[in-house]
Amino acid sequence: MIRDTITMARKELLEIMDQFIHFKRGGWSVIVVIIFLGIFVPLQLGPGWANLSLMFFYWPFLTASMTSTIVSDAVAGERERHTLETLLSTRLPDTSILLGKLLAAVLYGYAFALTNLLIGYITVKLRYGPLAETMSVTRFAALLVLIGAASSCIAGVGVSVSLRAATVRQAQQTFGIVLLVMMMTPLVVMQFVSEGAREAVAIRGAQYGVEGIAWRASAVLFAVAVTLLAIAVRRFKRGELVLE
Amino acid sequence: MSAPVIRLHDVVRDFGAVRALDHLSFDLMPGTVFGFLGPNGAGKTTAIRVLLGLVRPTSGRVEVFGLDPTRDGEAVRSRAGALLEHNGLYERLNAQQNLEFFARTWHMRPTEYRPRIQELLERFGLWDRRRDVVGSWSRGMKQKLAVARAVLSRPPLVFLDEPTAGLDPVASASLRDDLARLASDGGTTVFLTTHNLGEAERLCSVVGVIRKGRLVGFGPPSDLRAARRAALVRLSGRGFSPAIMDGLATLEGVRQARSDDGDVLLEVDGSAAPLISWLVGQGVELEEVRRESATFEEAFLDLVDPDGRGEVR
Repeated sequence: MIRDTITMARKELLEIMDQFIHFKRGGWSVIVVIIFLGIFVPLQLGPGWANLSLMFFYWPFLTASMTSTIVSDAVAGERERHTLETLLSTRLPDTSILLGKLLAAVLYGYAFALTNLLIGYITVKLRYGPLAETMSVTRFAALLVLIGAASSCIAGVGVSVSLRAATVRQAQQTFGIVLLVMMMTPLVVMQFVSEGAREAVAIRGAQYGVEGIAWRASAVLFAVAVTLLAIAVRRFKRGELVLE
Repeated sequence: MSAPVIRLHDVVRDFGAVRALDHLSFDLMPGTVFGFLGPNGAGKTTAIRVLLGLVRPTSGRVEVFGLDPTRDGEAVRSRAGALLEHNGLYERLNAQQNLEFFARTWHMRPTEYRPRIQELLERFGLWDRRRDVVGSWSRGMKQKLAVARAVLSRPPLVFLDEPTAGLDPVASASLRDDLARLASDGGTTVFLTTHNLGEAERLCSVVGVIRKGRLVGFGPPSDLRAARRAALVRLSGRGFSPAIMDGLATLEGVRQARSDDGDVLLEVDGSAAPLISWLVGQGVELEEVRRESATFEEAFLDLVDPDGRGEVR
């Protein structure tokens, strides 16, 4: 299964790479985003850029956003471009097809995040020299795991949405609504939580520290991603996908 | 004697109120080049989907390599190549990347697939364009690449849905030769659908004709031609007046009477002897009476449009 998953992911990544090589379908916009996030933002945030707590929200959110642009295309794109039936007529198992698509989307998100982090680090080093702070290894690891968890979770949602969408546009629209609901739910819930409970959460958060929260959030997000993938595999019925 | 590669027994597939396959039954032996013929919407694509395990039959038994494609789909698909209704190529990838992806799905090693890809691309005249993205190619080139993909792993069973559609005559002839060689040398079973009846007759050792989901003819093309119910009789002579022609058309056993290149062509059920006696009795001077064999197209049309009303599916 691992070999088939890698085969699928490799094909997806080659298709993603094509848009950068030929500067089309959003290829330019990603380069503009990299210049903005990798150069402009670090310069604005100053020498302490690497160790800001904000990074633990900022990077997972951005990476997940980039993942979402890719994953909407996963199954709906194959359907729209009339490649789905041929793909389903290969011997690739259902799980490998889905996991391969999810893996490619997460790797794309990672590549985006690491590229930006590296460019940002070089930018800050060049600008501030010895004043520029360096991220500790444990902090960097926690950030990377959180980025992976957030991307996997978003990719899980995206693949599920893409399974039933007739076109990429429809998948993107549905996915946008689902993401909005996911983002707004914690804010809405907090409105109904008592003052005492909110204080308790804040105290517990302070005890854990930013990295502790990141590890726990990662565990929750990975659990959600695995659940979503399991649901997607159950919903992945070749017969229905071909006939749809 | 070897076992059939494909065995369909009383297979029914319904889509709501529409019956796409209607008690379909036939066997195909290894090395057969099988032409599945029928009008659009007759059920050809559904049959291929059922055989690949992509669609579950409503009832009946399906076996491919002795396996049930619904339950053992992965095992069936691992031994089959397919070119379906759409070419299924990734247009953002180049030809080599497309073929490499499918080679990897068959677990071919690079040492196996690299020379095979070169061999196929050279055979189809695509080697020089292998680094071009497929989206920039003509329809015919894409079709050739899709055929190359279907036979890439040298599978023992190949499904080809309209393989020569969009190909120029030279490429079509070359592909026909390749398919014939696949079956004769490698024992590959080829299951193809086509609307090109000449192609089916030249290439296929067995054809099946499907109409409204039901198999209405099965066997070698020559047998289908011979089994055509109406025989063609060509009459040369003098005295075929309009009254005689009208009279001929009303005689028992005459399906059609028409003038053809100065002669009269009759489509008759059974013997033409009583008709000849009648014509002589009417004063017609017959010089030659010749029974002609039906063309494959006429045999096919008889099967899919028995009433000659042009209403086929």
